[in-house]
Amino acid sequence: MIVEELAFAVLAATAVLTSIAALLVRELVHTIMWVAIFFVDLAAIYFLLQAPFLGVLQLGVYAGAVTILLLFGIMTTRKRIFSREAATGIGPIPFGLAVVTFIFLVAAIGEFPQGSTAVTVYDPTALSANLFTVNGPWLLLLGVIMLAAIAGAIYLVREGRE
Amino acid sequence: MTTLPEVGFVALSAALLAIGLFGILTRRNFILLLIAIEIGMNAAILNFIYFAAYSSGTAGLTGQSIAVVLIGFAATEVAVGLGIVLALNRIKGTINVAQAAELKL
Repeated sequence: MIVEELAFAVLAATAVLTSIAALLVRELVHTIMWVAIFFVDLAAIYFLLQAPFLGVLQLGVYAGAVTILLLFGIMTTRKRIFSREAATGIGPIPFGLAVVTFIFLVAAIGEFPQGSTAVTVYDPTALSANLFTVNGPWLLLLGVIMLAAIAGAIYLVREGRE
Repeated sequence: MTTLPEVGFVALSAALLAIGLFGILTRRNFILLLIAIEIGMNAAILNFIYFAAYSSGTAGLTGQSIAVVLIGFAATEVAVGLGIVLALNRIKGTINVAQAAELKL
């Protein structure tokens, strides 16, 4: 389908460009804006992959909650939220390492069966049934880790701790 | 019926992981570091959803279920990370990770 392939090409290019922009701009608030666009863009890719539940989850958790949390982090740690970061160089070694990682992973694509096969459409009901039965232990583990994380975060930010 | 290029998703995921890795290695601001980690994690989540879309039956549903759990993990990690940011800012007056080097030998 030419329309879907075109949509994917645009969304993929936007994802790469916005993630690079998020890491390279010097104003932290602009970073948050770029990263919000990146999260929404990825949600659109999930919708394209016929995973609407995950798309909505991405919009709610990432584009909504994580973005606002990061914005609060900026607001509480600086006097002027639009102040600029000191310029940090790109650095040849990290850049080279990132390029090598990318080439290594792309070289592994040859191992996969090539071509375009049909995307499977999953019913959200079947997904939730799977999530609470077969993969229930993962969900329980997530709950336990979240509880520990809440306790840890409260301990970290409470007043009077030296 | 939707058909999509298979290679494109793996290449996009690899590119996002490389960008995240680059951000983790170069940025010194803790919040930017968290964002770079999130970009890398999103690459992994995209991979799970992509492979789920091209599988069928329980295998695909398991892939999507793990993606749901991973999104939860990522949100938890940001919450704890911001707790560390606030604590670091209170103790050091900065969120530059280069300044927090007490544990270095």
